[in-house]
Amino acid sequence: MTSDTPNNDSTQNGDQIDERSEESPAVQADPRQNWLKGRINQWRESGLISDDQSEAIINFESMPEAPFRLGLRFSRLIIVLSTLGAVLIGAGIISFVAANWQGIPAIAKLALLIGGQTAAYWVAYQLQFVRGFPKVGGAIMFAAAAWFGANVFLVAQSYHLGTENPDLLILWFAGVLPLAYITRSKAITVMAVGIFLIGISWKAAAQTEDAESGLQVMAILLLGGSSIYSIGLVHLSHAVTKFFAAPYLVGGTLLTIFVTFMLTFEDIFNDLTRSPARESLELSGGYVGIAVVVSSITVVSLIAGYRQAMRVERFSVQKLSKPAVLVLIVVAAWLLAFHPFTSSAPYVVIFNLLLILLIFGLITLGIVNKREAFVNVGIVFFVIDLSTRYIELTVDMLDTSLAFINGGLLLLGVGYGMERARRKLLQQFGMMEVTQ
Amino acid sequence: MSSKLKRLFITVIIIQIVFLLGLVGYRETILALGRTAVLQTVPVDPRDLFKGEYVILRYEISTIGDGSNNTGTKPYIRGEIIEGNIVYVGIPDSDTNEFDRSQFAQAGNPSEEMDLFIKGRVTSSKDNIITVEYGIEQYFVPEGRGLEIEQADDVKVRVKINRSGTAAIEELIVDGEVWRP
Repeated sequence: MTSDTPNNDSTQNGDQIDERSEESPAVQADPRQNWLKGRINQWRESGLISDDQSEAIINFESMPEAPFRLGLRFSRLIIVLSTLGAVLIGAGIISFVAANWQGIPAIAKLALLIGGQTAAYWVAYQLQFVRGFPKVGGAIMFAAAAWFGANVFLVAQSYHLGTENPDLLILWFAGVLPLAYITRSKAITVMAVGIFLIGISWKAAAQTEDAESGLQVMAILLLGGSSIYSIGLVHLSHAVTKFFAAPYLVGGTLLTIFVTFMLTFEDIFNDLTRSPARESLELSGGYVGIAVVVSSITVVSLIAGYRQAMRVERFSVQKLSKPAVLVLIVVAAWLLAFHPFTSSAPYVVIFNLLLILLIFGLITLGIVNKREAFVNVGIVFFVIDLSTRYIELTVDMLDTSLAFINGGLLLLGVGYGMERARRKLLQQFGMMEVTQ
Repeated sequence: MSSKLKRLFITVIIIQIVFLLGLVGYRETILALGRTAVLQTVPVDPRDLFKGEYVILRYEISTIGDGSNNTGTKPYIRGEIIEGNIVYVGIPDSDTNEFDRSQFAQAGNPSEEMDLFIKGRVTSSKDNIITVEYGIEQYFVPEGRGLEIEQADDVKVRVKINRSGTAAIEELIVDGEVWRP
């Protein structure tokens, strides 16, 4: 930690400003406030600012704290309530139209769908960018983007077109992604990323054979997770797009680590071992095409992100670690898709190793980049993995009650150790959220 | 929002509307200009919260055999067809409405022997029998009306088919009468 770190300075200088913070115990307990006051004392002592100025700064930073936090809570409440309200209204209209579809004249249907969607966009725009209600406006913008998706399906429905069609999701995704960037909406970005993942997995599932389609869909999800994370890295490397990086990074991370965890179970691969005649499944051209496109997104994003990073920073081997892990994930996903081994053992070993790599990689990444969310995700999956392996190991070896007691003690011990380690880490680098 | 972003915002909304209208226009074109065929079907009646009520249509031509026991009343498989293939299935038009030996299913491209054909995707292929979906397997009905279709003795679907084989449902014929929603 450098001397700029709030907590270090607060321990050195906090005693100098004690008399100023007596009136507000809550403020006194806040490490950020203590750090700030310590710094202000240093500036005052070094002659950078006068006594009056230092007092004015301390008052300015201390007093609005409570109203600010209250405002933040209200702000979140407004977003939640507005989003719920907008989505409920949209769902009600869609449900009404769907239930009475054939009873409404064709032109009225179109007018209702397109007119409603356009009106929602107009209201959202007015509130968010003109009238100064960004939260409510943003929530209605989100609902309008969802409305567009519903309209795609409703128009398909009006012509009795099969609505169980992943292409409709891909078109929805293509329609709302630009909107996310234009309106600077993280919520719509999350929606677009989610739609893309569901659509691409569904599309892949439609291209596969029955027996192993689950594994092949998981392979596409792994490729999807790595590509989304890579896109997040590209966003992170440009100042203009940095704002949008978090949904991609968090979404890609969670998806990848969850799918990898699922693939550490031997049972997942049982279908493979039960059909030894099919040593290597022939993948359809459509499936391979989708997998190539999603893998290419990862590779192109990594190259673009790396080139951008090299423009502003010097080369170091450490910078290759993230791309290397992502390439490993892509290779593992292709291995899963082609599944050349007829035994489950090689897959279980590979994905267990990959999970360990991801867990410790995430924790390290979180510590190095001061991202609490990464540390937390890494720790959660570490505990889940440890518990799972314990149950797998002991289920046949120990008496059930003994296994539970041992397991409970082990988990409590691990939990205590992890909590201590986590607290130390967070104290060292402050409460930095990945979404900030 | 800057004026440039405002223009982009409006452009995206217009593109969304154009896409929806394009979807409508494409299906309306098939209905207006396509050739008519009548397909025999067996409906079942599911329900979905957001989709509303609809009947699932299983057509006579949803399953196609290899033609070894072909009596000339159904199309048969010609050439190799595997799961995932796009197939073109020859069907009679609404004037004749009877299958003959010239009506078969073929992967890749439609045969020149086919006068009228419908395009579908093979969803399974087992024991020389393929299952095909044509994108017209759902028919949406007002709430509470699905059962009267499901319980009918004879349900046919009048479809319009364009030159590339894409089909659109025009109407249902239930027990010999055009069904009005």
